[in-house]
Amino acid sequence: MNSTLLDIKNITKTFNNGKVKALNNVSLSLDKGKIVAIVGESGSGKTTLIRLITGLETQDTGSINFKNKVLSSETVFINPEKRNIGMVFQEYALFPHFNVFDNICYGISQNLDKKERTEEVLELVALSGLEKRYPHELSGGQQQRVALARALAPKPELLILDEPFSNLDVILRHQLRNDIVEILRKTNATAIFVTHDIKDALKISDDIIILQKGIILQQGNTKEVFEKPNCNYIELLFDDYKL
Amino acid sequence: MKLKRLYNIKRDTNKWSIILLTIVLFVSIPVLSIVISAFDGPGESWHHILTTVLPTYLENSFWLVVGTSILTLLLGISSAWIVSRYTIPFKKQLEWLLILPLAIPSYITAYSYAGFFDYGGFFLKISTLKVDIMNIYGLVFVLSVSLYPYVYVASRAFFVNQSNNIIEASKLLGASERKTFFKLILPLARPAFVGGLILVLMEVLNDYGAAKYFGINTFTTGIFRAWFSLEEPETAIYLSVILLVCILLFILIEKRQRRNIGYFNSVKNHREVKKISTSKNRQYFLFLIVVLPFFLGFIIPVAQLFYWAFLTYSDVFNASFLLIAFQSLGISLLSAIFTVFCALLFIFASKWNRLSFLKSVEKIGILGYAIPGAIIAIGILIPSLALDKALIVFFKNVFDIKIGFVLNGTIIILIYAFVIRYLAVAYSPIEASSLKQGNSLVEASKLLGKGNIFTFFKVEFATIKPAILSGCILVFVDVMKELPLTLILKPYNINTLAVKAYEYASDELIAEAAIPSLCIIFTGILPIIFLNRLISKA
Repeated sequence: MNSTLLDIKNITKTFNNGKVKALNNVSLSLDKGKIVAIVGESGSGKTTLIRLITGLETQDTGSINFKNKVLSSETVFINPEKRNIGMVFQEYALFPHFNVFDNICYGISQNLDKKERTEEVLELVALSGLEKRYPHELSGGQQQRVALARALAPKPELLILDEPFSNLDVILRHQLRNDIVEILRKTNATAIFVTHDIKDALKISDDIIILQKGIILQQGNTKEVFEKPNCNYIELLFDDYKL
Repeated sequence: MKLKRLYNIKRDTNKWSIILLTIVLFVSIPVLSIVISAFDGPGESWHHILTTVLPTYLENSFWLVVGTSILTLLLGISSAWIVSRYTIPFKKQLEWLLILPLAIPSYITAYSYAGFFDYGGFFLKISTLKVDIMNIYGLVFVLSVSLYPYVYVASRAFFVNQSNNIIEASKLLGASERKTFFKLILPLARPAFVGGLILVLMEVLNDYGAAKYFGINTFTTGIFRAWFSLEEPETAIYLSVILLVCILLFILIEKRQRRNIGYFNSVKNHREVKKISTSKNRQYFLFLIVVLPFFLGFIIPVAQLFYWAFLTYSDVFNASFLLIAFQSLGISLLSAIFTVFCALLFIFASKWNRLSFLKSVEKIGILGYAIPGAIIAIGILIPSLALDKALIVFFKNVFDIKIGFVLNGTIIILIYAFVIRYLAVAYSPIEASSLKQGNSLVEASKLLGKGNIFTFFKVEFATIKPAILSGCILVFVDVMKELPLTLILKPYNINTLAVKAYEYASDELIAEAAIPSLCIIFTGILPIIFLNRLISKA
């Protein structure tokens, strides 16, 4: 049985009337239940890539297939709200005028019991009891957990985490990283994890994709890529983490 | 490659692209109809106008533009700098009092000054000097004291947000306060005050009431004369095209100067400008400089109007006046609601449309504010008359029914014209608020499975509500004050306070114009206070 969930073929995306090439002929695939890290420095194209997957942008050429269905190609475009892909934003993007409960149940479909599902994910992220609080009444770490709970609540088939730890201090970052891995494993989620921090990628991911200037330099099992980098750039990236 | 682009266009076209294009077309009709009609050739009097009055129109409009530019810059920048930089008596109050002249339409300021300096006027009671204000210099003065707040508001917003670091750096390099102002602050503030000045110039070119009352022939009075006195729409259209070209030139100059503002707000570690405390005598001197534009632009005209209102209220304030006041409020309210609705549709259709090249087309839709009311009115009359005539013929031939004008002379056409004229007024605050909010909340909502409309009402509306309200109030007040467009397009059986004031003044019943004028002024004060709060918060 084919376990491929996401299949991206020859994606190219340009900005400023073709003057800036953000992604150049990128292809990748993602298996169900895996956690994949996309690593690259600023301007490497990782944000553009996830915006194309979620449907917040449209590509110039190439196609994005999800569960063998075309999400986006040169002739087809499925709106973001119909893709069943969840995302945890870098700045959390919690609705400031909703409390924790309303934020979380916002995306839960009518088919599910909203109250029950909200309580379930609140328990999962260890935030039970904070339902009535507003985002500005929460700490950075708590906001991050609410953002994760909100993204998990509608049971998305793919979860994207965009630099989820960039706004947190070192101690909280370490703790939350472990917690998130545990939550993702517990829910058997398929996730794409975007980061510029190689340490986060090594700790969390099963597979890794390394982007530079809109081109994939190397992709594969994280351990294998770590042990056998195919170029100097990647070797330098891992240098600090080799014993 | 071209085929792929065509595929992309097909893929990215959605219902919002169509709605956006429809609105752009809807608001471009007046300009398009004027430009297309201009190809029919000028009227019979065109040659005569070209050799006789056109040079006068050009000359008067040119001197009005130059004169008001100089005077509004002087009044606006000096008062803005003093209230932002110095400690003076009643500073807090003066900050918003200086904006109040904007509540008075310039034609009403013109009526007041005409009465103030007239025989029997207050000025001749306290002085023996006879001042003739009914000339181009008088008009420059009246327009300047009435319109300087545009420059003041723009300059003050810049001065308030200017970082103190720049001033301190200049001082440490040995520059005096004067040198710092002229060599550093003023060049830095240029984009801000030129932006305000462009608005002044648009208003000067749009003015009909003041120029008509002072007997000064400008382009706008010329357009009216060609259309109504000479009954030559073709000539009015030709004059409109010339004026449109002048306005396009202004817009291009403004765009060009805005492009060169890379240095604008370049300091990142912002610290508020420190207030300078000077001696008591100097403080009073600065206070007098600041209070002068407010005195000239608000106190004198309003005092004159109150005096006239006291003399005439028993004749003017009756049931028919109340009816006009209600009609005026009703038209303004309806126009404000429709304009805000169009602005919202415009902003969000543009946002939800995925065709990137349509984003630039969007700007065409908000040019209405730059186009004088008289031109918009003529631009609407041409196609609506043609459509009405076609409908009459159609109903006669197909159903053998005799009908009158369906569109012309109705409130539909008047409100349509106001929507086009003031779309930018509602558009600007709502768009700014929407941009400030950023995209992440909207994107989060979409990725949680919610569509555009649901996201708008649940997420975006809560944050842009104050901007919608401010857009609504601003359009309401602008419509209350509007004269040339209303004069041309209003239905016969409907009147507004602005038109009533104009009619009284035209019939030499200038004192009777005071009560409708005061009603317009006091309706206009509310949003000015609101606007000032917005700047202070910023």
